[in-house]
Amino acid sequence: MSTTDPSVQELELTDETPAAPRKMSRQSPKPRRTAKAAKRPGKKMPITAKLALFWLSLVVFGAIYAKFDNLLGQRLPLQDPRYQGNLFGTASRTETPSTAHFLGTDVLSRDSFARLVHGGWVSLIVAMSAVTFGVVFGGLIGTFAGYVKGRTERVIMALIDVILAFPALVLLLAMVSIFQVRSLTVISLVIGLLAIPAYTRIARANTLALANREFVHAAQAIGTKRFTIMFREIFPNVLPTLLAYALVNAAAIIVIEGTLSFLGLSVQLPEPTWGNMINEGRSEIRQTILPVLWPSLALTLTVLSLNQVGDWLQGRAEVRSAAL
Amino acid sequence: MTTRWLKYLAVLLSLAMLAAACGSDGTTDAGGGDSGSSGDSEAEAEEPAEEEVVAAGTEAEGDVDTEVAEIEETSVYGGDLVVGLEAEATGLRPWEDSCSSPCLNMMVAVFDKLVEFRADGTYGGWLAESFESNDDFTEWTFKLREGVTFHNGVPFNAQSVADMFPIHQAGSQSAGIVGSAKILSVTAADEYTVVYTLGAPHSAFPAFVERAQIGFMFEPGEAAANPDGFSAAPIGTGPFMVETRDLDNETIMVRNPNYWMSDGDGNQLPYLDSISFRPIPDEGTRLDSLLSGTINAMQTLRQGTIRDTRDANDGDLTLFEFQGNNVGGGMFNSSTPPFDDVRVRRGLTMMNNQEAVIESLGGTGISLPGTQWFSPDSVWYSEKVAAAWPPFDYEGGQAVLSEYINDAARSDGKAVGEPIEFELSCPPDPTLIAAMQVLEQLWSSSGLATVNLTNYDQQTHIDYALGAPPDFEGEHGAHCWRWSSDQDPSTELNRQFAPDTPATAIANGLGEAGAEGTPLFTPTNFFNYYDHELFGNLAAAIQTDSFDERYALYEAVMLKVAEDVPLWYSGHTATLIATQANVVGLSGWTLPDGSLGVGHPAAEGRWGQVFIQQ
Repeated sequence: MSTTDPSVQELELTDETPAAPRKMSRQSPKPRRTAKAAKRPGKKMPITAKLALFWLSLVVFGAIYAKFDNLLGQRLPLQDPRYQGNLFGTASRTETPSTAHFLGTDVLSRDSFARLVHGGWVSLIVAMSAVTFGVVFGGLIGTFAGYVKGRTERVIMALIDVILAFPALVLLLAMVSIFQVRSLTVISLVIGLLAIPAYTRIARANTLALANREFVHAAQAIGTKRFTIMFREIFPNVLPTLLAYALVNAAAIIVIEGTLSFLGLSVQLPEPTWGNMINEGRSEIRQTILPVLWPSLALTLTVLSLNQVGDWLQGRAEVRSAAL
Repeated sequence: MTTRWLKYLAVLLSLAMLAAACGSDGTTDAGGGDSGSSGDSEAEAEEPAEEEVVAAGTEAEGDVDTEVAEIEETSVYGGDLVVGLEAEATGLRPWEDSCSSPCLNMMVAVFDKLVEFRADGTYGGWLAESFESNDDFTEWTFKLREGVTFHNGVPFNAQSVADMFPIHQAGSQSAGIVGSAKILSVTAADEYTVVYTLGAPHSAFPAFVERAQIGFMFEPGEAAANPDGFSAAPIGTGPFMVETRDLDNETIMVRNPNYWMSDGDGNQLPYLDSISFRPIPDEGTRLDSLLSGTINAMQTLRQGTIRDTRDANDGDLTLFEFQGNNVGGGMFNSSTPPFDDVRVRRGLTMMNNQEAVIESLGGTGISLPGTQWFSPDSVWYSEKVAAAWPPFDYEGGQAVLSEYINDAARSDGKAVGEPIEFELSCPPDPTLIAAMQVLEQLWSSSGLATVNLTNYDQQTHIDYALGAPPDFEGEHGAHCWRWSSDQDPSTELNRQFAPDTPATAIANGLGEAGAEGTPLFTPTNFFNYYDHELFGNLAAAIQTDSFDERYALYEAVMLKVAEDVPLWYSGHTATLIATQANVVGLSGWTLPDGSLGVGHPAAEGRWGQVFIQQ
């Protein structure tokens, strides 16, 4: 074996490649491709997912930075997102980007960069809270329904189907209207409640498959209690699929929060969100597109990034399922 | 492996809990300690720069002036006009369906009124050839035009008007007007003479029959027989007849071949073959539709759209602008602390930078800062009131508000020196939201007020201001609102400044508890402010038809409002109907007697005399 052959080196380093294919690879005209194909799909993170992670890191960092800036009562070099410079003679309406205002100012002469960063906090919190709500409650309900089966499962799934059949946005608008106080907590909880059905279905479907696996039968055979099997054997194996879905779902939730903000039904003004930034900027869109462009770009990039990372994670979860 | 996922889950849950803990409660902290607020002490300590404010009543460069002039072009028959409206009319029954500017554009094409508003502020006959009152203004007689028929061929006469009265008494929109005008009966004295008998004198009664609710003449037989169907297929005597009505899409009206009215040269009206109304709610889309030629005309009540239309006009459009009396702003609920103290109302009003609010609405150079219920173009406008209205003086406002805050007997029960706290609410319209945030920033930045912003849909917003029986006090604090109209002042002022509760009425000798006559109070006194002398002036103003006397009385009313400031103003609402340049006749229409009509108030076009030049 020639140790200078790179394809061979790679094959040798691939721990899951058995010995037999090594001979075959020597006979193959394109050994490198064969070696790649032999790898586990989704193991290596594609460049798009890396870029996506980079963007998401920026959003998360910016949001935490903005929040803790206020919580700590310190003035880091990020402007007040509510400060209307034109009232105090320090800025004009809809200024173009400058060193004083990186992304310019909005229709009320507020710093667009500061508002964008602060708006990210709202999107982040709503998405994370709602997804967590969905994963925990939807996951547990779905696992329970899928494992106990019978009449209980039918009742639970019928209820879930009813909720799913109702137009989500209409339900959301109704629920938001009921809660007259539109705090971040309330918005997160309302969206989280509506996220539960999808997670329930996913968890139930996975549980149905897992319930017939050998390790579950083994646990049953040694007399393990049903709830213990559910929590220790099944739910942990359902969780990767739920979390992979959660990232994709987080993207959808960010869009939903943006829609609510656009309609004036998300967190109360003057708290900036990407949705209400778009809404406020659209009245002046003929004068300048920038106040609408920045939050739209941020929203698009964040949703795209979450989808990229979610897809990659989903691929990994599938591999794990296959391994089981 | 299981443990690892559980760890992930634990981390996720922890982050969610942290998020919930850090989540804003959605309120605004004037002190700047909460999320979104700056804590920028420099900024907060700094006061707004004195800006050059257009002196009250003076004309801003480029502002909208209301001008009407007689049509000089030669009229042409034919053509189909498509008008873009800012909203759909929910129904076309004058007595039943709530109707604002877009809807009035449609109704005025179908229905005629007994009287119309002239450019000089007086009322002239339309379906009525003449009208007069008895000496004490309790009986009004209208002599009707002969030979007029409804679209279905039924003749229009005094009995038609009398037959409308029971419908007006029951209608959800008209019943209030019947009550305000105190109409006791409507009787046909002969075939073409109708008499309105009032329960109290009203020298400006024709103003009520100029209003949509009881002014538009509809075919009473069809309305009584099929009220629901009437909404989609209304029958009036107007220049156009509804051909098709596709709700939220298009309403097409065709020329009434039997229309009674002719122009000055004897040509039968209307000139157009048809007119279509399309609701296009988005302001930008409506303007684009006009610029692209999809529609021939559009209306708007938004200052920003007027600015954008001016910018986009390369000479292909004619802009019919109107600076009406309608004025934006808001009210303080004077029955609730801290607004029960005039120092609070006055201090906040003085800190209201009207120019900045108007700028946020996109109205710089278009709207004028309001100082009263009448725009500088109105015959009722008073320079004296304009001078009396509290001017923008941030430091002065802070000083006045500080007096209240440092008063040991302050009405809100807070400790001396503690900022006042109140809710500032507006409907969730983007422009109103912008204006509201300017006010919030101005008031909060003083360090003397904690302002909590809220947005509720239009109906909830109104309900909060209206309140519940028996007192109708409302639950609002500082509340966005619009004031005034281009009608006679009595139609708005008398019902809004009457006693706000039965108790107030009884205390001021305007009724007795348990007596047969209900105490004279109004649920539409939204600011819950009452001044007996002011109300006395309003009552006196409808007992004389002398313009000078009435002017003096309304001026006194407005001076009192400027002194007690139960409300605040932003700017007068400029409106616009933009048409393609070959559309003529919107501003120069005339009454049957040849006098010049009011034009296009509140972007309501009179389409009967419009024509399209070749």
